[in-house]
Amino acid sequence: MSTFWSVWIMFLVVLNMGITFFLFIWGQRVKIPVQPDGTSGHVWAHGVLRESVRKLPLWWVVLSASMFVAGAVYLVLFPGFGANKGLLGWTAHGELAKARQANLGKLDELVHGFRLYPVEQLAADPAATRIGHRLFVDNCAACHGREGHGNQLLGAPNLVDGDWLYGGDGKAITTSILEGRHGAMPPFGPTFGEDGVANLANYVLSLSGAPHDAAKAAAGQPNFAGVCAACHGAEGKGNQALGAPNLTDAIWLHGGDLATIEETIRHGRNGQMPAWRERLGEDNARMIAAWIYAQANAKDLPAH
Amino acid sequence: MARGYKYFEAVEKHAGLLGVGIAIMVSLGGLAEITPLFMRAHQVEAPAGVKPYDPLRLAGKDIYVREGCYLCHTQMIRALRAETERYGHYSVAEESVYDRPHQWGSKRTGPDLARVGGKYSDAWQRMHLLDPRKVVPVSNMPAYSWLEHETIDADDIMARMRTLRRLGEPYSDAEIAEAPKALEGKTALDALVAYLQGLGTSLPANGTSEASDGGAAP
Repeated sequence: MSTFWSVWIMFLVVLNMGITFFLFIWGQRVKIPVQPDGTSGHVWAHGVLRESVRKLPLWWVVLSASMFVAGAVYLVLFPGFGANKGLLGWTAHGELAKARQANLGKLDELVHGFRLYPVEQLAADPAATRIGHRLFVDNCAACHGREGHGNQLLGAPNLVDGDWLYGGDGKAITTSILEGRHGAMPPFGPTFGEDGVANLANYVLSLSGAPHDAAKAAAGQPNFAGVCAACHGAEGKGNQALGAPNLTDAIWLHGGDLATIEETIRHGRNGQMPAWRERLGEDNARMIAAWIYAQANAKDLPAH
Repeated sequence: MARGYKYFEAVEKHAGLLGVGIAIMVSLGGLAEITPLFMRAHQVEAPAGVKPYDPLRLAGKDIYVREGCYLCHTQMIRALRAETERYGHYSVAEESVYDRPHQWGSKRTGPDLARVGGKYSDAWQRMHLLDPRKVVPVSNMPAYSWLEHETIDADDIMARMRTLRRLGEPYSDAEIAEAPKALEGKTALDALVAYLQGLGTSLPANGTSEASDGGAAP
């Protein structure tokens, strides 16, 4: 703050408190003329109400005086009197840093312990998964739903069904959270044409044993083997290194009806999971991963 | 007549005079608290990384204002732990130098958006704007379905850029001339998503970082 504005504020503070203090003193000393009937002569309601002359009550005088003391003490201790920083050196940012430090202190013991174990083991620790679920609801639920059931409209995978696009061990889940994922499937509409897309979609349906048109599926098979298999594998079982979904199970990222599969082939998909490293940090990501792992492997974990 | 009583009586009997006196005393507080910060606001300069809005984001910002998003969403993360833990680093004055007017807001029905940029995917933002319930079943945010069908008028945005340049934003002639290309085929939805995805990305999003205090205190 420049000297000018510092002096400006000091001047106004002194002026304000000075005028108020003068009024405080003067208001008590001013002599109000007393009429013979003992009132000030002020009347209301056509003389029904008349104002008597009394000294200010003591409690009011003491309370007002203490306000001046409180104001002065505040200006000495806290920032407010021009550029004066106050004896306590208080700042809003310092207060925040202290609150954060205190919170980290409380968490530290817990989190420090969590760092010693792999995510798979953390998943069995209710202290870790409880925090993990809270963080999940705050940060991940917008796409994956509060309980991790995913969102087909968005193409956000179900995280608790045990089926994984990029791998379901603790490390893979943590990596997905920290670094994000980008699942891109190119559009094949122009390549295959409308008939080709329909044939392929029927072939894809046949992979998981869903009702389909066998003739069309047979017609689509060569294209699948020649093109789609590069990512989804010759048997359509997918590829976790690429995030290519397994097409032989009943689990669908965007929907498993004929129209949706055709849509996927025609226009491709562009699934994006943002990277959370900056927002969450590693400790938080591992707790979230632990909760997800616990949900996805619920039957294998010891009950607690 | 006792000493000074006539002044006392004048104030007591004339409500107008009392009102003027109160106004003067209250404005002393305003002059001390508001004026120095107000004068300082004109000296805040954009730090490296904070750039004027590109044409698409500028269009998005004006749609944000037009649709009244600020009525339910703030863009002001206060220096309180509960806020920095949830939203990231507290907001600093330098981040809003190109916001005319700033969108700090004062009412949160929905969450703060100061650092929402990059938090969700573009696809999420689009789906959420068109029908919030498709991604957040309990959301009470209105659906902005018309944004999808509204195109952006490049001439209008160029005029806005020229106006902002007159107010001091460092837009070059080339940047303004290229606006129609950047806006070609873009809808209001594209613009708003681009604006949202840029929010707060000029500072590290992590609330746990000890970034500079940005000189936010006077």
